[in-house]
Amino acid sequence: MNKVLIKNGTLILPQSNRTIEADVLIDDGVIVQIEPGINDGKAERINASGYLVGPGFINLHVHFREPGEEKKEDLFSGSRAAVKGGFTSVLCMPNTRPPIDSPLLISYLLSRAREVGLVNVFSAATISLGLEGKAMTDLGLLMNAGAKALSDDGKCVKDSRLLYLLMTYSRYFHLPIILHEEDIDIAGEGQVNEGSMAVKMGYRSLPKVAEDSMIARDLVLAHSTGATVHFTHLSTALSVKLIEWFQNQGAKVTADVTPHHLLLDDQSIIQYGSRAKVKPPLRDQTDIVALKEGIQRGVIGILASDHAPHTNEAKEGDFNEAAFGISNLEITVPLYVKALIDDQSISWLDFWKLLSFNPAQFLGLTKKGSLEIGMDADIAIIDPETHHEVKVNEFVSKGKNCPFDGWQLKGWPVTTIVNGKILMRHSKLEA
Amino acid sequence: MKWKHKHLLGIDQLSGEEIRFLLEKGNQYREWLEQSPKKLTRLSGYYLINLFFEASTRTRVSFEMAGKLLGMEVVNFTNELSSLNKGESFRDTVRTLARMKVDALVIRHRSSGIPLYISQFLPFHIINAGDGMREHPTQALLDLLTMKRDGIDFTRNTVAIIGDILHSRVARSLSIGLKKLGSQVIFSGPPTLIPKGIEVLEGQVVYPVEEAIRQADVVYLLRIQKERQEAGFFPSAKEYASFFGLKEKPKGPDGRWKKIMHPGPVNRGLEIDSSLVEKENSLIEEQVSCGLAIRMAVLETLILGGQTDE
Repeated sequence: MNKVLIKNGTLILPQSNRTIEADVLIDDGVIVQIEPGINDGKAERINASGYLVGPGFINLHVHFREPGEEKKEDLFSGSRAAVKGGFTSVLCMPNTRPPIDSPLLISYLLSRAREVGLVNVFSAATISLGLEGKAMTDLGLLMNAGAKALSDDGKCVKDSRLLYLLMTYSRYFHLPIILHEEDIDIAGEGQVNEGSMAVKMGYRSLPKVAEDSMIARDLVLAHSTGATVHFTHLSTALSVKLIEWFQNQGAKVTADVTPHHLLLDDQSIIQYGSRAKVKPPLRDQTDIVALKEGIQRGVIGILASDHAPHTNEAKEGDFNEAAFGISNLEITVPLYVKALIDDQSISWLDFWKLLSFNPAQFLGLTKKGSLEIGMDADIAIIDPETHHEVKVNEFVSKGKNCPFDGWQLKGWPVTTIVNGKILMRHSKLEA
Repeated sequence: MKWKHKHLLGIDQLSGEEIRFLLEKGNQYREWLEQSPKKLTRLSGYYLINLFFEASTRTRVSFEMAGKLLGMEVVNFTNELSSLNKGESFRDTVRTLARMKVDALVIRHRSSGIPLYISQFLPFHIINAGDGMREHPTQALLDLLTMKRDGIDFTRNTVAIIGDILHSRVARSLSIGLKKLGSQVIFSGPPTLIPKGIEVLEGQVVYPVEEAIRQADVVYLLRIQKERQEAGFFPSAKEYASFFGLKEKPKGPDGRWKKIMHPGPVNRGLEIDSSLVEKENSLIEEQVSCGLAIRMAVLETLILGGQTDE
């Protein structure tokens, strides 16, 4: 029972760096056979001819807003957006209301996720109690309750001593720390990248140094303590250089980007207004080039989303009052295809490493991120060629705050299978 | 043996042979303590000052009793009574004491190095009863005596010291003493409380705590002070107890229980589960009796120079 047979696809095997033409047989939620010409009368067939088949995508940075801000997103709407986007696993950021800072809250969130039961929902827990940046959470107890990482995302950890002790302490539990870097004393009420655009539009600026100086501090801390530290949503050229230098010194530091920081620069504010208002702010073309080179050189090993859904009310009106963030989970994959495959920055094999294999390794998900016998049957199938228009009003996410409306993109996920269950078939959600 | 040290400032100054000498003498006193009434006159006419600048009950009482059992006159001098609170400098206070013409001074102070400092100009025997984060030699000696009396062969023995190594003078003195007698030492606890540079103590750092306990014959738990949590070294008492506290009786591969030790006072339910404190494999209460015996041995050896006529 519960057999699925994926026929005639081009299989992407990131774990062994190979691409092969073969079929995949799934039985009871597990990949049981990979070879050409499989026949199984009892299995449900999916024709993947002309498509790319690989391990489901894993997103290290989403905001599902539950508990507390369900009008922006909830576990159900967010999970459906993930399925549509080809993501079979997501890591939720813990800056909810209340923040996920206790074992009780993380147990609650994970039991809610099981109730929803679509994609694999993992959660980070906060670094500091109440996201206040003062005292560290019970991270061992949080890990035992299911936390996969620690992050005060949305805020920078300002207290150097707290972070120093946390990094030292976290080594005992091998729990990775995800950092949102922004020196708030410098960033202040900044709205957009520092430079000509801020001057022209008359907006207060969020300078690159606010990000770079904190990344520099925390690279030193990570290197000294030996902690596993991940810098999320990188946006600047200098941050790539800094991280690369410390990686070469042996620091256990990794990084991710978002698709919007690769596709849009600060000039986009003119066209998209507050829909392009995001933290960190959209930078300039030299940064985009440096980020892409950082991806090619492996300095940035993970592609994430920073899917940040908001209500229309929160994004409309006064630019200075509008919320930061972009809703992008269901178009993250085609956006990255445009940013990185179209200009041949990376191969499809690399693409799958950056979006599935590497994040699985980072989260310690040993049964995910590889297309291999015995692995969980989490699978994404992509149509690499056909262009479709982005229609934000058809997003299943509650967040319609997205500047990419109307863009023509290719590389859309067509079928998504999670734990052997087909949740999207031929571009139609079955969840 | 001829005893060559005027003071006992730290375990570091002692040789293995000297430690074994003190343990042997301490062992005799430990036996002798079982009899009643007990009173010796070996040090009668000698004067001892207990000078404690840091709160302590058990160590101060232990020294006081040790002195009195040997026939000494003991004067207690605590911080609250001292002229330091009247604005006198530490150096002047100590120089005033120097004119009191006593024979021995037991001192505890929150600053590392104070016993060494005063030993440079005070004319009598100085015994360090704990200085800051540096040394607590009589604690280490009493721990070693407890182990010796339990039948432990130091040359085939591994002790896991668990907890706040960073701030602990007990961990420093004990590990130094153990190494001098040929034992292996393991440190474990929250990484925030295990200092960089610990290699100097010649122990292995082993994570996690369960693995450190598995490798050990004796599990030595350190007291966790509440202010360490307030200072952010670990997040909460609950988390500490869950991951770094001893929750069950540790058993060796041969089925025998491993010994549990603790310098006291114990935080029941934090570094050690309450039910384990008084279990038969716990040496914690015996440590107190050995403390009295070893302090008698130390006082006698320093004052009489190691020559005793039984």
